[in-house]
Amino acid sequence: MSTEQPDRSQHLVMAHQTDDSTSSSTERFVFTPPIDIFETAEGLMLRADLPGVSLDSLELQIQDNRLTLFGRVETVLPDDAAPLHREFEVGDFLRSFILSDEVDYERITARLSHGVLEVELPRAAQAEPRRIQVNAD
Amino acid sequence: MAVFRLGQSWDPLRDLEREVDRLLQSVNLTFHGVRAGRKYPAVNLHESSDEYILTAELPATAPEDLELTLSNGLLTMSGQRRDEEEIPEERFRRQERPQGSWQRSLPIPERVQEEQLSADFHNGVLVIRLPKAPQEEPRQIPITSD
Repeated sequence: MSTEQPDRSQHLVMAHQTDDSTSSSTERFVFTPPIDIFETAEGLMLRADLPGVSLDSLELQIQDNRLTLFGRVETVLPDDAAPLHREFEVGDFLRSFILSDEVDYERITARLSHGVLEVELPRAAQAEPRRIQVNAD
Repeated sequence: MAVFRLGQSWDPLRDLEREVDRLLQSVNLTFHGVRAGRKYPAVNLHESSDEYILTAELPATAPEDLELTLSNGLLTMSGQRRDEEEIPEERFRRQERPQGSWQRSLPIPERVQEEQLSADFHNGVLVIRLPKAPQEEPRQIPITSD
């Protein structure tokens, strides 16, 4: 990943590790999903791997400048299934991001396919340059 | 001046304990996300009364890019993780998701009705069901003697 050009879109999104894993009373795992963030012509695209999350169990929320994704994963196994061999744990996904003002919050769109969430973060339109009239006394 | 106070002497230990807990938690979190050095995909095998169930998480793999073959008791899964378009490296601000093709072979349990095997692939989760073969009736072996 190149960080040579001081492009302003570089700090449009700052990945933020969530520190507060939910209470252990329910004994569910909460994972931080791996993500990609890349530039597009319109702004930024965020992709997150959320295997097992369906449209109904996904919550995508913006509060103030924080974008939070939470995906609940339902088990696909019957109740009487006993583990014989286990290489991964099944759990929910949680991650949040701080958005800068340069993202147009109103036009954020998202879609979910094949276990991948795609969030489009369009750049806000540049404020028009405005001429300031200088008056002399 | 340092004064030894019995009531508070254990506080640093408690802090340490809390710190270790926190560290362990974060290790657990990243373990799932970064599968460096592990076989891909990770699989779980479960057994119910009438079948074995193999599950694997395969996000970003389209069903048409996934191939399953079974021969000589060996189940081979192969496919590729890919996004719809190629994105030049320099446009990435953060890249944590693995890309590329993968293959993994697993021996399937014995006493499985191979022709009844079924696979379901939804939301990036592959579920392969292997129905157990019915128990064979114990067979009496006749003994002959002169």
